[in-house]
Amino acid sequence: MNNLTQLAAPYTATQKSGYSYGFLDEFAKREIRRRALKAVAIPGYQVPYASRELPIARGWGTGGLQVTLSVAGPNSVIKVIDQGADDSVNAANLRRFIARMTGAQTTTDTLAATIIQSRHRIPEEILRNDQLLVLQVPDPEPLRGVQPDLSQARIMHGDADYSQMWLTLYEQLVFFGRFMQGASYPVLVNGRHLMSPSPIPRWDTPKLHQAAHLTLLSAGREKRLYAVPPYTDVRPIEFDDVFFQVEAQQGWRCHQSNIQNKFMTELPQADGTLLYELSDTSYAQKIVAQAAGNAINLGPTYFDDQGNFYHPGFLK
Amino acid sequence: MAYVATRGGENAIQQSEQLFHDLRSAVTPAFVQNLLQTMPYLVDRVMSEAGLYAPELAALALAQSGGDLYESVLLLRAYCSTQPRLTYAQPVQSADLFTVRRISAAFREIPGGQILGPSLDYSHRLLRFDLLDGTGEPTAVTPAEQAANKVYPTVADWQRSQDLIAPLPEPEPFDSLNTPDITREPVAFPAPRAHRLQALSRADTGGTLALGYASMRGYGLTHPTINELRLAYADVKLTHPLTGKPFSAGQVRVSQAEVVSTGGGTPEKPMLELGFCATLGWNEVKVIAASMLDMEMNKPNPHPAHREEFVLYHTEAVEGSGFCIHFKLPHYVTFGSSMDNVRNVRESQTRGMFEGVFVQSIAKPTGNKAAINGQPAHTNGHVPPAQREQKAGVA
Repeated sequence: MNNLTQLAAPYTATQKSGYSYGFLDEFAKREIRRRALKAVAIPGYQVPYASRELPIARGWGTGGLQVTLSVAGPNSVIKVIDQGADDSVNAANLRRFIARMTGAQTTTDTLAATIIQSRHRIPEEILRNDQLLVLQVPDPEPLRGVQPDLSQARIMHGDADYSQMWLTLYEQLVFFGRFMQGASYPVLVNGRHLMSPSPIPRWDTPKLHQAAHLTLLSAGREKRLYAVPPYTDVRPIEFDDVFFQVEAQQGWRCHQSNIQNKFMTELPQADGTLLYELSDTSYAQKIVAQAAGNAINLGPTYFDDQGNFYHPGFLK
Repeated sequence: MAYVATRGGENAIQQSEQLFHDLRSAVTPAFVQNLLQTMPYLVDRVMSEAGLYAPELAALALAQSGGDLYESVLLLRAYCSTQPRLTYAQPVQSADLFTVRRISAAFREIPGGQILGPSLDYSHRLLRFDLLDGTGEPTAVTPAEQAANKVYPTVADWQRSQDLIAPLPEPEPFDSLNTPDITREPVAFPAPRAHRLQALSRADTGGTLALGYASMRGYGLTHPTINELRLAYADVKLTHPLTGKPFSAGQVRVSQAEVVSTGGGTPEKPMLELGFCATLGWNEVKVIAASMLDMEMNKPNPHPAHREEFVLYHTEAVEGSGFCIHFKLPHYVTFGSSMDNVRNVRESQTRGMFEGVFVQSIAKPTGNKAAINGQPAHTNGHVPPAQREQKAGVA
């Protein structure tokens, strides 16, 4: 147990800068915490919240940031990634801001983090039940493509009327012979609410199913907060005979770490060829460091070296 | 065991910000004060869109951001997020405003009189080169022989007395703890009237003008008339926490527009109806455009671009500008995920089969001609899947 001085130290430090601990005033933090509890109680349901403006631009992670600032404490260890990378300028900026306003420690190591704020990726190493994943959400409404009017979409959620989504899948099948949804693949949470998992690639979508960790998804601009509690069913929408599929990256090998069967990004080369690189930069660095003979703590991953998902039979 | 994450990206963004500031003159306290006094309309626009009356901070925000309006508004809004909301001032009545400009287009003369006040409306828009080379003569206003009134009755009150406008509902008792506040609670649609007027008050000037102009130009259902436009000073009346008595904490510049049209009432008894907008600071174009939008939104079936949810969401200055510039962020993961689909479809085309489903000739993404069982595949504004997929890819 920490003594009061230690707990209050970051607060004292931020007071000198003229800002509240965690930047937001206490009413704002209380609101976020209450909304988060409601979100956990109704998995996948979008809870409206007031959403304060933050000193970074709207649409740049202000939703995730409000959640992180509201739950971070002096003992938190923060990791921030953007498209999987810790060193992306926006991730670096958010991490710098969170640390400045909370006094929390920062890390790039997925296993060392207590709070992981992410834009569009879930790390490759399996998250534990003592970790919190905060996903930044640009568009919380999975029905936006079929119903741009929010009031109508809310009625559809109330009725669990998702028929237009199945029709969309069917049309894609007729036109293209496959489902054409890229990232943000819609999922049914706890068998009830259709949810946008945020624009994570399909590779990451199954990681939400029966996950040990809590995921909070927050859209600052759209003012909606929702959650996937631990050990909750999260199923991508699919048909009985045509199935959801992750990105086909078989045979892609990371040019740095030389491994396969983790999510890769493509690096176009001047000679017309492509190089592949692990999107999860922290994992890539750990692999490289381990290969160089360093003692590295590598966690188990959602997809093994052969590309098998850790919940057997979930992906068909 | 954690370690501090410091990587190349952090230095890059710090240097980038530094370069922005290095490419212009340094901001001095004198410059901020000068800006405050020379450019009150610029300061007012920023305060209005920020929803924060703080002229000096608004001038600082403008100076600090190199004059970028959206950045300035965000700076003030972000500052607001750090401040607790301690109390709410009492409602301000139009008839109590210390009014310096007040015109009505609906009547040649109105009770209390038309007061032209400060305006560029009838100026010749000629560049003053004499101001550039310093030879310009300072100009001064000739004081009137008789001072104008401080307060004026409202035009709408006169119309109400003539039974031309529906009477005002009984005012709800003022409750400083339960005043609706869009900065403290989410807006649901249909929005309470207070939420709508607050959102319009903070709305982006340009966005309000664009949607309002569309209505005025012909997409709207009405050709309204300006019933009354005011530039004024309002007392900020608070309740003293100890004595419980009201006191004035100071004055703020406010502007308000009220537009009127003849579309109200019933066929048996036609009535006038009103649209309204008020802002912190003097923002004439915005209050006129927004009051017309207010009236449009009251219509039973307005043009889609004038529906309440559409107007209020898409005139939000901070959210719109923020989302627009977010497209500069890397999107390679989401883009890669969509590329995967494109490649797979092209591969499966060459095979002719995919997952047991026979792939017919691929319809052009914009085509609306494909038919399922003889019926058009897309009807009633249904988005073709190819377009929908593109939407989903750019999150």
